[in-house]
Amino acid sequence: MRVGGAARLRRDGIALAVVTVIYVGLAASVHNSYYQLMLTLVPIWAVLGLGWNLFSGMSGLVSFGHAAFFGIGAYVVTLALVYWNLTPWIGIPLGMLAGAVAGGLIGLPTFRLRGHYFALSMLAYPLAILYVFEYLGFQEVPLPMHRDHPALFLQFNNPLLSTLVAVGLFVAAMIAGMLVENSRFGLALLAIRQNELAAEAAGLDTWRWKMRGLIASGAIAAAAGGLYACVLLIVTPDSVFSVLVSAQALVVTLFGGVATVWGPAIGAAVLIPLAETLNAKLGNIIPGIQGVVYGVAIIAIMLAAPEGLFWTFRDRFFRRAPALPPIRARAPPPAVRAEAGILLDVRGLSKSFGGLRAVQDVTFTVGAGEILGIIGPNGAGKTTLFNLLNGVLRADAGAAVFAGTELRGRKVHQVARRGVGRTFQVVRSFPRLSLLENVIVGAYGAGLDDTAAAGAAEAALEAVGLADRAARPAGELTNKGLRLMELARALAGSPRLLLLDETLAGLGREECDELLTVLRGLRERGVTIVIIEHTMHAMLRLADRFLVLDHGRVLAEGAPHAVMENPAVIEAYLGSKFLARQHA
Amino acid sequence: MKTPTIGRRAALSLGGAAALAGASRAVAAPAEVEIALLVPLSGPWAEQGILERLGAEMAVHDVNKAGGIKSLGGAKLKLLVIDTGATAETAKDAAQRMLSEHPHLVGGMGCWLSTFTLAVTEVTERAKLPWLTLSYSDAITDRGFHYIFQTSPTANAQAEQIVPILMKLAQDTTGKRPTKVAIVGDNTAASVSFLKPIKSHILKDEKLTAVVDEIYTPPLSDATTLVQPVRAAHPDFVLLLSTASGDDKLLADTFSEYGMPGSKMPLIGNGGHWVVPELLKTTGAPILQDIMIGLANWPGKDLNALSARYEKRTGNPWFGHNEIFAYAHVQILAWALNKAGAANREKVADAIRTMDITDGPAIYFPGHHLQFDSKGRRVDAELVIVQWQNGRPVTVFPEAMAVGKAVWPT
Repeated sequence: MRVGGAARLRRDGIALAVVTVIYVGLAASVHNSYYQLMLTLVPIWAVLGLGWNLFSGMSGLVSFGHAAFFGIGAYVVTLALVYWNLTPWIGIPLGMLAGAVAGGLIGLPTFRLRGHYFALSMLAYPLAILYVFEYLGFQEVPLPMHRDHPALFLQFNNPLLSTLVAVGLFVAAMIAGMLVENSRFGLALLAIRQNELAAEAAGLDTWRWKMRGLIASGAIAAAAGGLYACVLLIVTPDSVFSVLVSAQALVVTLFGGVATVWGPAIGAAVLIPLAETLNAKLGNIIPGIQGVVYGVAIIAIMLAAPEGLFWTFRDRFFRRAPALPPIRARAPPPAVRAEAGILLDVRGLSKSFGGLRAVQDVTFTVGAGEILGIIGPNGAGKTTLFNLLNGVLRADAGAAVFAGTELRGRKVHQVARRGVGRTFQVVRSFPRLSLLENVIVGAYGAGLDDTAAAGAAEAALEAVGLADRAARPAGELTNKGLRLMELARALAGSPRLLLLDETLAGLGREECDELLTVLRGLRERGVTIVIIEHTMHAMLRLADRFLVLDHGRVLAEGAPHAVMENPAVIEAYLGSKFLARQHA
Repeated sequence: MKTPTIGRRAALSLGGAAALAGASRAVAAPAEVEIALLVPLSGPWAEQGILERLGAEMAVHDVNKAGGIKSLGGAKLKLLVIDTGATAETAKDAAQRMLSEHPHLVGGMGCWLSTFTLAVTEVTERAKLPWLTLSYSDAITDRGFHYIFQTSPTANAQAEQIVPILMKLAQDTTGKRPTKVAIVGDNTAASVSFLKPIKSHILKDEKLTAVVDEIYTPPLSDATTLVQPVRAAHPDFVLLLSTASGDDKLLADTFSEYGMPGSKMPLIGNGGHWVVPELLKTTGAPILQDIMIGLANWPGKDLNALSARYEKRTGNPWFGHNEIFAYAHVQILAWALNKAGAANREKVADAIRTMDITDGPAIYFPGHHLQFDSKGRRVDAELVIVQWQNGRPVTVFPEAMAVGKAVWPT
């Protein structure tokens, strides 16, 4: 359970109960079969949106292909009924199973892609499946009518009952969505949405979370498809696998609000009746104009509420800090046990990108409790070295032994779990989440359970001096605050070694001093730090030792002042002319 | 939820009805009887629905002009025209809306595309509304429904009929029986179900060999890879089972480019999309010349006067497949209303179920016989063959209807 999850769940649960009661009451009072059909379709499309939202909305990996799951659900229900006379009551769970399997099979190859490439390749799946179903001869499959047992086959004579089934499915999907949203599952997906690499560096196995997300999402979308088939009573590849279905999932969610369970519900409740009203009123005057008006309405509302209705309304009317329990005064975080000897031993590490040898034969050691500063001109290979150490890149040669274990060949989250924390040149926060939740991601990454993670996160915030702002959203932080927050995120996993990439960049002198105090405090607690930095005055005060890189090689190593006076270092930084003038 | 409001149009017609009622109160006001036409009027199939509307509107005009429904005191027919939209879902929604907003509907017709008809009749069947359709799919009348009447020969029946008819036409005009056929078709429901019986037994029965069997996914962007194997195989005739006018044009053009226009190689299509005015405009008469099309209905020479009246009324070049079906469906409903003597769905459906006539609305179908079997299929529904001749579709089969003589290109 996420911090404040119980309170949020209770609040959302009550809201869901109220909405459900009102909706059912409304449906019971509607005797017009056409309006009843609309009341049935709204929850079905909302469920598809919820499925999409659970994966794409939460993780930020946009899928243009949720029609694949929707269609599979629809066809499983239909074909099971046609060939095995199997009731949709079993067919829909069977379809969900098929949707989940499809999610796994689709995720397996597709998670290798990122960003737009992921979105586009997802688009291909339903289109490919569409042709498979056409090839198999399932162009038009009507669901056989069962007059004798309407309830058994979901073919109710009273359309209100269809609405009730749809509402039931919607409530189930909402509850599933709320549980995910308020668990570490949801937080992991949100972390991936903000910055997959940062999430991975915080120790989260992002591939596994994404896979779980897509499987759950596929099952929910398939349930929507299965029920849709029962309502439409005929299935064609075009009506369930078409781009329009995938678009519907996106549209209702984006319209209502991404990454909240309420988004798809709001989107479907507004858009489905709107489209129908337009069909009914305008379509009979000028056929086709309804599509134009619908499109214009969506564009207008999206312009006015770009993040979706839910977030826009919330920001306008309910802007307040989420109710988080105040942070209890607690003992300073447990000191990492003092270590002696060499913590990190790097030997002959090398990496080439084609002809560019970014890191060449780099060898150095970091003693336990030490602060090692890595300096060097731009392009010297400093960040690449970090990427090799924490598994973002794979080294071509060499070894990096951390506390007795080889890091080479391990994935980012595995390195993180062994106690290597990392921050990035450009801070990526999770702006809508509170500071505390930003930091908890790091604690989850270390494999802590919910209570321990919350404790570790609070301690980490205290260590960097942000404890009093724990409940504020990260979006309100200054640059310094963001740097501190990222530091706290790395600390929450109780690392033994911190890799800090330009943590002081862009800070003023005073801010810089505050951060230095924090870093020194960490060292006193036994954390070993390797820091890349350009701000030389700060580095001279902080680091015990310098390692100078140039063109991917180690240029010099030693005590800070000695290194700064080394002619080779001066030449690398300021050029040979400067050196010559100095000697003249 | 809002309550249904009366649209401007409905208000106008209500006003009109009120005025009418006021004017004729003295002669025991015959009420209006509502029937519906639910067809695609927007989206990719809009052209088809618009043609159906023209036919239906003329029929309503004709019925009302001839005194309305006599057994109902001369009640006038009122046609509700409703758009299905472009998907099965919008079609079904429209049907549900139609039923809830017009509780006094006694019958309806539509929706051209089989998929839409299948979805819509799930609704109309439950409402026990008699429904007439020209859609071909066998599935429509295979569901055990009681209120659906399919006036066209089903896809299966058409497939069973067309090849023997073609063999006869070839033999009669050239004295030789074809032995080799090339098949080019798309993978839509209509084409796939059409080809099933042909491939499973008809070719064997007629001692034909399929020398080419090419299936494509519509819409076509290039037909050369489909046409090349046909030229190499030298078939005696080609079956072109496309389903959209755009593909028809591309196929006809490409066959012509490869030296096999309809005037040299017998090209046989199937379905109303092959004979829409739009195709003539985009493709041109020379390229379409002599292409033959199997159709579920087309006006024969006995309906020349009706065709001429339609052409004058609408400015369209001919009275075609969709138009005559819609026209006939309105006439069937009028006949059934008259027979039933009540504007009552059940009684109208009963009248249609028990009809067995050779006059009245029967004259709008090949064979002039109108009767439905227990599934709701028209008994003895016959196929018509039309051939493009000098920029006009000309009925060439059956002989009783033929306006012109069939040309079998060699």
